[in-house]
Amino acid sequence: MTVDRRQRPQADGGRVVPNYAFTAGRTRSLAGADMPIEALVTATELGLAKAPGMAPEMRAIVEASTEPQSLAEIGALLGVPVGVARVLVSDLAAEDHLAVHLPLVGTDGRPRRELLERLLDGLRAR
Amino acid sequence: MDSVHADGRAATATDVAPGARRDLLPLKILVAGGFGVGKTTLVAALSEVPPLSTEQQMTSLSDGVDDTSVVPEKTTTTVAMDFGRVTIDDSLVLYLFGTPGQSRFWFMWDELARGAVGAVVLVDLRRIDDCFAAIDYFENRGLPFVVALNEFPGTDGVDDELVRDALAVPPGCPLVHVDARDDDSCTRALIVLVEHALARSV
Ligand SMILES: Nc1nc2c(ncn2[C@@H]2O[C@H](COP(=O)(O)OP(=O)(O)OP(=O)(O)O)[C@@H](O)[C@H]2O)c(=O)[nH]1
Ligand SMILES: [Mg+2]
Repeated sequence: MTVDRRQRPQADGGRVVPNYAFTAGRTRSLAGADMPIEALVTATELGLAKAPGMAPEMRAIVEASTEPQSLAEIGALLGVPVGVARVLVSDLAAEDHLAVHLPLVGTDGRPRRELLERLLDGLRAR
Repeated sequence: MDSVHADGRAATATDVAPGARRDLLPLKILVAGGFGVGKTTLVAALSEVPPLSTEQQMTSLSDGVDDTSVVPEKTTTTVAMDFGRVTIDDSLVLYLFGTPGQSRFWFMWDELARGAVGAVVLVDLRRIDDCFAAIDYFENRGLPFVVALNEFPGTDGVDDELVRDALAVPPGCPLVHVDARDDDSCTRALIVLVEHALARSV
């Protein structure tokens, strides 16, 4: 599984990625509650190479994810509830067909200051 | 304690080489408020794609308010949410989620609110009762929020202090005026929210 490496288990952070997400053993997928609705996914090279042989919904997810897509967007794309999208995305991530980019939060469970500052700059530039 | 990289170093803004694409990071802001208050309109005004809709299935104890039965029962509810997307820079993507304001859906808010930058509570001054529950919710959870008065016809010229009193807006919580149809107006509301979140962050 490819997971953005800046996310890591934290003492009391709101967003906790279980340790097994970082292990080489790829038998487990990210548990549902650990992949929030705004989590972004991108197709890996392996995923794009394998896409033609995938089940239609899996293929649709991987091919849409050449541009970053949130779990919410995957759900909307397939017309399925977020919970269903989360299961499909977890399976694809476990096979290294998708990379998952989780939010980065501090120990208070809120986005870190640096991110808020960048968000503010981006909004002011609009 | 600050966030850390997987290898234990503290994460800092200088970790990324100039010109390199930084890691993708999602952010989210919730847009809350009563029925028909302008949530979808605000999300549409800001989003770079037409607002999408997604469904979330929830199991909850029905609270008896909408039921004829007095005995709580386990029910599965499908809740529809609109959302929009705003690309902030080469690595930050902001999602806006319009959250159903009806109180029986609030059990889903904890999951949605986790990790959020904050919330915009939209208010229609002609129907203020609809926003109390949202204000209470975010205040209790300690999530930064702003109260945004959606300027429907006939709601202008109201004194802000009277509104703050009437809505019991907590001291320090910003009150803004928006036209939910107007991109610039909605962007300003988000800026006030993020400034407020920054002022409260450690
Ligand atoms: N005049 C005026 N009309 C608005 C404004 N914002 C929204 N409206 C109108 O109010 C109506 C309801 O707006 P929506 O955005 O659908 O409200 P909502 O909160 O998403 O509604 P629900 O999802 O049904 O709860 C629409 O007809 C909008 O065009 C505003 O700022 N000014
Ligand atoms: Mg709506």
